[in-house]
Amino acid sequence: MEDLKNNSGQSLGIAALITAIITFVLSVIPCVGLIALIPGIIAIVIASVGLTQAAKNNSPRGVLFAGLIIGIIATLISFSQVFVIGKIAQKGDRWPGNIQNIINDVQDNVIKDLEDANISIKVESNGDKMEINTSSNKKDMEQKLEDLEGENTQKDDTLQKEK
Amino acid sequence: MLVIAYSGIFSPENNNYPVTCVHEKLTGEPCLSCGLSHSFSLIVRGKIDEAYRWNQYGMRVFLFFISQLILRVVYSIYYIWNINSRKQLIIIDCVGSGIIFLIAFWPFIESIISGALH
Repeated sequence: MEDLKNNSGQSLGIAALITAIITFVLSVIPCVGLIALIPGIIAIVIASVGLTQAAKNNSPRGVLFAGLIIGIIATLISFSQVFVIGKIAQKGDRWPGNIQNIINDVQDNVIKDLEDANISIKVESNGDKMEINTSSNKKDMEQKLEDLEGENTQKDDTLQKEK
Repeated sequence: MLVIAYSGIFSPENNNYPVTCVHEKLTGEPCLSCGLSHSFSLIVRGKIDEAYRWNQYGMRVFLFFISQLILRVVYSIYYIWNINSRKQLIIIDCVGSGIIFLIAFWPFIESIISGALH
């Protein structure tokens, strides 16, 4: 009877220690790290119950303390996987965001360059040279178009032609 | 033993692994341990090169579990035979297993540390 009293909480201590060690190994693996929170909490609960029993009956508490400490550490490591998830998510968001910004910048630059571009075409054939210079400045082109329309066309021009 | 059984039961051909990556589900990005189950299954089936392609850390983690299986048997025999040096044996076991654990799982531990620091 005294032996039973002295060993109370020991079986709980072994159960807590085994659960805590398994949790510890699982908590380090990123894929299942967060899931390890559940056995971690179970290990802490088992060790706590065992410790209360051991305290009541004055039985040894070494294994129970080991189970409790490893359980707490494993649970903390398991919880820290949240940071790893955060880092992966941040990385995942950051890269496509960066690429999108670069594409937008390049697009804007190309459009701006094309709007203000001065095009020069040189043709050389059998000693004859021909050079065409033009500006593709959007505003200039619009102005020229408006000037041309003002000079050569009248209101309802097409309708008059049809008549 | 459980890891070997798990790797033997679930095959890469059927792709019927019960464990899914929480990180990949939440973020859509694979983590360091993605492909570990595939890697274990391939190691058990002797396809080492393919196992490395699934997860480069698969072999070292698998070796950790194998070393623990061997160490448990060896230490149990020593524990039964050497009654006088049981405490020393437990300390040696704890330290030895801890070092092997750190070596095997270091890339994962490093990712946790860097994740927590940044």
